[in-house]
Amino acid sequence: MSKRGSPLFQRHRPSWTAPVELLSFALYFLCAVLLVLSRIGHGAISDVRDGLVDLSAPLLEMASVPAVEARRVTDRLRLHLRLHTSAVEEVDRLKKENEELKQWKWRTQLLERKVAHLRKLLHASEEPALVYASGRVIVDARGPFVRSALINLGRKDGLRIGYAVINGEGLIGRTVEAGNAVARVLLLNDLNSRIPVLVGPNGARALALGDNSDELQLGFLQDGATIYPGDAVYTSGSGGVLPRGLSIGVITGEQGAYKVRPNAQLNALNAVSVLFYDAPALTRTDPPVVTNRGGVLSSAPQAASHEDRTAAGDIAPRLPIAAMSPPGEGQAQAER
Amino acid sequence: MTKFLPALSVLIAVVATAVPWGLPADATFILPFVVVMMVFCWRAIPGTALHPAAAAGLGLLADVLSGGPLGYWALMCLIAATVGGKPASFRERRDAGIHWLIWAVLACLLGVFGWLLASLYYVRWIDWWPIAFGVATSIALFPLVLYGLLWVCYGRIGHSRRTLFRGAA
Repeated sequence: MSKRGSPLFQRHRPSWTAPVELLSFALYFLCAVLLVLSRIGHGAISDVRDGLVDLSAPLLEMASVPAVEARRVTDRLRLHLRLHTSAVEEVDRLKKENEELKQWKWRTQLLERKVAHLRKLLHASEEPALVYASGRVIVDARGPFVRSALINLGRKDGLRIGYAVINGEGLIGRTVEAGNAVARVLLLNDLNSRIPVLVGPNGARALALGDNSDELQLGFLQDGATIYPGDAVYTSGSGGVLPRGLSIGVITGEQGAYKVRPNAQLNALNAVSVLFYDAPALTRTDPPVVTNRGGVLSSAPQAASHEDRTAAGDIAPRLPIAAMSPPGEGQAQAER
Repeated sequence: MTKFLPALSVLIAVVATAVPWGLPADATFILPFVVVMMVFCWRAIPGTALHPAAAAGLGLLADVLSGGPLGYWALMCLIAATVGGKPASFRERRDAGIHWLIWAVLACLLGVFGWLLASLYYVRWIDWWPIAFGVATSIALFPLVLYGLLWVCYGRIGHSRRTLFRGAA
């Protein structure tokens, strides 16, 4: 009798092993199915995800507090270290920066007056104020697939899918999912991010393409366009999804391999603002003449109730380059 | 030790993965790999119970929070749970170094598999560097996580052959 076959050395196999193996197999299969459903963008997956994220929002918001505080402490420590090592140089730098900012302020005020005067001469129509709401990043969801962030603003704040999200440095992305209390922002450098842009003083049209790296690729640059490193890149407004003129970054690299370095530090986001901008084409309603007839061709609602947030009122922003105003002055937004 | 401790500790790690730490883009894979490593460790440590379904569920939560495709981290956690709980290989009298070696091999395989899966999902070659960096960091962090979990489990750092390995008593 061989030693291997001896019952003394036989491993005890619990009776529940087979069901566990069966369950494991089922779980593997479930994962594969979920991946496929996720890939084809099944609606149920998005709904379940939105629901779960909404449910976990309070916990995530609470959990993000220590991380935000830790980052703040780290930043302060860095500042203290920098001040400690080169206090005089730092003060000189800040003074110089302050002087430059004062000059910019003065120039901006001068330009504002000039623009107002020219607009008056041209009888240009007034641009509506751009409504916005500010929030905070509660989840930094940057994985192998996505560069996104969850913010503590949702549909209850008037937020919808497709809105531009900015911080003090420029555009950071746009909302792609909106729950009741939270929304997911697709960052500029995500693989799926495609932003129509204008480059440089001549406004050469191109697309800023995310590739999950820190910089964006510049694709579909119009033929014959001349651009240089350091040129500013801003949104073109093409397609009507994003407002025109939002600062994105600057051109880096060499000819033939230009890239865009975002102004915003996408790795360390904290406070952000969502611009409640709806594309005019999407919110357009029929003229009153057509609407009043109420015929079969009329697509406009007969009467918009106060709760109906899908109706585009007069205060819905149409042109993006305008003075911003905080939410509360009217947020009738269009459902996409 | 409560039987929910392994799942609870992995849940905390999953939530910590989603929190905005401000890590650079190259480091995005480190924290998710730590979660997978914790699943592996909990399955390998004797006297603890982390069911494969719980591991998959926690991986699914990581997918939901990260906004990535559902099933990706669930699959990773499930593989780690399966390998970590293999009775024929890990319930013998072994050394922590063996566990470390096994995790190193498994992490490399998971990294390659994850990269291929991500590339297949997006129908383009995904940048491999963050994945490689995450794998390397997780291998380096393995003793820290293993002894940390042992401390959570038994209330002390440092392994005892009697308690650390299955079937050693």
